[in-house]
Amino acid sequence: MTMPLFKSQRRVCGCDSDVVSRRLLGHASRFAAWMMAMLLGVLVGVPVGSNAASAQVIESIDAPDPKPEPKPEEGDDAEPDDSKKSDKTEAGKKEDESADEEEDEEEDADRYLAITGAVIHTVTAGDSFGKTILTKNGKIDQIGYDLDIPEEAERLDATGFHVYPGLVAVGSRGLLASPPEDDTNVYALNMTLALAAGVTTAVNGNSVGKMTYGSVDDIIVRRELFTSLKYSSRQPTARRKLREAFEKVRQYQRDLEAYEEEKKTDEDAEEPDNKWISGQYKTCLQLMKHEVTATFDANDDYDIVACCQLAERYNFKAVIKGATEGWTVASQMARAGVSAIVTPRTTVARDSRSNRPNGSSIENAAILHRHGIPLAIVPRTTSITLWGVAGTDLLHLAMEAAFAVRGGLPQDAAIRAITIDAARLLGIDHRVGSIEVGKDADFVITDGDLLHYMTLARWTIVNGRIVYDKDADSLFEHIRKGGDRDAPPPDDYWPHRLGAGQ
Amino acid sequence: MKREHVETSIRQNVEKSKNRRTGSATFRRIDLSRFRHFDVSTFRRLLVVVGLIAGTASGADPDDSGRKLAFRVGKIVTMDVNDTVVNNAVLLVHDGRIERFESAKDLAVPEGYRVIEAKKLWLVPGLVDAHNHTAGSLMDLNDMVYLSNPGLRTLETITPDNELIKEARSGGVTTVLLIPGSGTNLSGFGTVAKTGGESVDEVVVRSPGSLKIAQAGNPERFWFGVGRSYMNYNTRQTLNKAKDYHESWLAFERGDTSEKPAVDLYYEEFRGLFAHEYPVSVHTQIYQVVMTTIDMLANKLGIKTVLDHSTFDGFKTAPLAIAAGVYTINGPRQYWFDRSQRKMHGNAARWWQAGMHKLGINTDAPVVQEKQLSYQAAMACWYGWKPYDALRGVTRIPAEALMVDDRVGSIEVGKDADFGLWTGDPIDPRSSCELTVVGGKIVYDASVRRRF
Repeated sequence: MTMPLFKSQRRVCGCDSDVVSRRLLGHASRFAAWMMAMLLGVLVGVPVGSNAASAQVIESIDAPDPKPEPKPEEGDDAEPDDSKKSDKTEAGKKEDESADEEEDEEEDADRYLAITGAVIHTVTAGDSFGKTILTKNGKIDQIGYDLDIPEEAERLDATGFHVYPGLVAVGSRGLLASPPEDDTNVYALNMTLALAAGVTTAVNGNSVGKMTYGSVDDIIVRRELFTSLKYSSRQPTARRKLREAFEKVRQYQRDLEAYEEEKKTDEDAEEPDNKWISGQYKTCLQLMKHEVTATFDANDDYDIVACCQLAERYNFKAVIKGATEGWTVASQMARAGVSAIVTPRTTVARDSRSNRPNGSSIENAAILHRHGIPLAIVPRTTSITLWGVAGTDLLHLAMEAAFAVRGGLPQDAAIRAITIDAARLLGIDHRVGSIEVGKDADFVITDGDLLHYMTLARWTIVNGRIVYDKDADSLFEHIRKGGDRDAPPPDDYWPHRLGAGQ
Repeated sequence: MKREHVETSIRQNVEKSKNRRTGSATFRRIDLSRFRHFDVSTFRRLLVVVGLIAGTASGADPDDSGRKLAFRVGKIVTMDVNDTVVNNAVLLVHDGRIERFESAKDLAVPEGYRVIEAKKLWLVPGLVDAHNHTAGSLMDLNDMVYLSNPGLRTLETITPDNELIKEARSGGVTTVLLIPGSGTNLSGFGTVAKTGGESVDEVVVRSPGSLKIAQAGNPERFWFGVGRSYMNYNTRQTLNKAKDYHESWLAFERGDTSEKPAVDLYYEEFRGLFAHEYPVSVHTQIYQVVMTTIDMLANKLGIKTVLDHSTFDGFKTAPLAIAAGVYTINGPRQYWFDRSQRKMHGNAARWWQAGMHKLGINTDAPVVQEKQLSYQAAMACWYGWKPYDALRGVTRIPAEALMVDDRVGSIEVGKDADFGLWTGDPIDPRSSCELTVVGGKIVYDASVRRRF
């Protein structure tokens, strides 16, 4: 189990004292925060009134932002061993950081949640029925039959429901701030709607965050995800410059290699100049060293092919966003080893002047999948809108995956494209995307098949906390209450002006 | 014998059309005015005869097997009033109409039929969208010259084989009501059209299809000072004058007066509206506006009324709407976020729960792509409606609302052979439409080129 990222994870009294105090401190009124902590402690009767405790809160806020987490290897098969390893190193680092805090942490009781009775769709290791998932301090601790559930564990009887890993949205707008921990409104309607959609992890800008409703603790999963490259036929100059930069850096690498050989025999060998390696050159070097992954926005076949050829020639990892005509050049994409983020419902009319197949195809995802290209699915609108047209935005991420099934993508691959495959593409599959021991306890518990058009989320769980409960929230509570398709209309509290006896 | 029969019916039709007010027995030149009160069946039969004669003359078999199709399918969801479903069925199509359908064990395919084997597929009536703007060109669809343009007709804009209509076929949509946009208060008369066919003659089911009124909302942007009060006044004023026009013509036609009223194209098309030959499609939403629509158009003027959109809190008027017997065609908004209660209401679900069963779904294409009509129904279900009712809401109900249910909207013997072959529940976005048939012709085949 990893330690929490922020020391202030300690939830003093079940309410978010840290959020409150953070805001106040933003206005440099540390005294008020101290008072707050005192007051809360007194009110709830938790012994936090010591100077040490409140000083600790302040200290954690003053501390610089946590460093970006080590970037795990992505794009590869991410065997369980690998993921565990990276998890451990990460945990180790954090332990070092918070070594002085060990004692305080020990005082906290472990936080357990036991989910029983549901059909568990692990995504990576098949489905099972009758097992219990036990989470401990926000991580999946055990999955199995007849587990010893600790006395103090919170229990969730999900009999008749389906547990899926929390969905991963590889694009989002308006759910998280950028960077997420700074000014995300953790009580915003958008966050609840995302949770109702089953989305627990979402990309915002160039970082990934979680829908940690009511808390900014552990909200960040990974920073500096991708390096966005422009290599479009619409910007020929930028395209040429990028190609030249790659070529120059490759020459530098050759020179460096030659120098290292030369140094063995000649002590006076001259090291190639590297002072010019900054900006775009640095990006190229990082890419060629596989330290970062590139993204390209490319939809036309010739643009996709150009990006793939660049990635192949200079041997770097790339993600093609859009890839509308990817189905026509899937073999080139597969050879270049790129991944793709697609929207199955994209409609682009066929250009009949071309002698090649072109335009959009509902089969895009299926064809790319058949060619072994790692896929993530995202709707065209990545925000959650409230203007009334349904089913085109992030609230129906699962439905976008259903449209990929319509085009021939196998059902399990479609679910993977919004869970584990999406997480792998983002390099966070060691933490989210599937139900495996050691991973984050992020689940969406639905009343049916995830890709069915009448499936609603019943509960959503993030970091082992129930953050969305359909029956406890007014948003969707009245829809199919208790699973009843003939449920009567909800009691509205507006006056019924029309019709007698209503 | 058959030919004799057809010729007799032609003769009768010719006589009938001579008696019609605007009918013309011969179609020598292109004159769109002939579509006024256009009797499509006359024209269809004429076409058939021409085809037969031409076929005979060239030595081809008059019983062209292309006109005779047999579909062997896994399931026929008829959507008729008895909610009949036939499993493992055979359906015969002849001359663009449904000739017969039966369980496969009771009906052997007769000689001369081209058999289409689709034993795993569902045969579902062609979907009907009662609110569409894409069956023609978008350029001249919504001529906003004046705030009221009831003299305009979308018939002139129809482009039978346009790209958007091809897309519609791929979603199993076979009939649409092409109406002008809602940029003006009375924006003209729509056309009920098929999505398959190569000429305007072939695709038009009825023109005028309906009168389009935009009662609030978009026309408010037309010019300063255009608000709901003004538009309601304008609608009442125009419709009452049109009613007078209709009645003065009626009086003349009955012979009550020898003084022939002057023809006024501004009011001419309203005559069918008051004769209950076609309905009015009203762009109406929000409780207050829907209430006015029902009161003003259905109750006071007594015209057949279809509430298009009827979204936001429009469902609160359900008791009034049910009493007035109007149809409701929901969409493209499928939910309403009620800020005061913090609830997500499914519009269709709330109408249905309030007892409104004359309830359909639209796309308002191109707001939502026409091919996603079934997905609109799926979304209505996600927000609380039920699949079978939703399927009825995109087939029989809109056909009834448009008063074309004698021809489309369900699988019944004698009706037009308009249907789609689906890989499963047509509401489910995971099922796709594999084959679309309009008027007995295959107009979309996913195995040739899949579009959706």
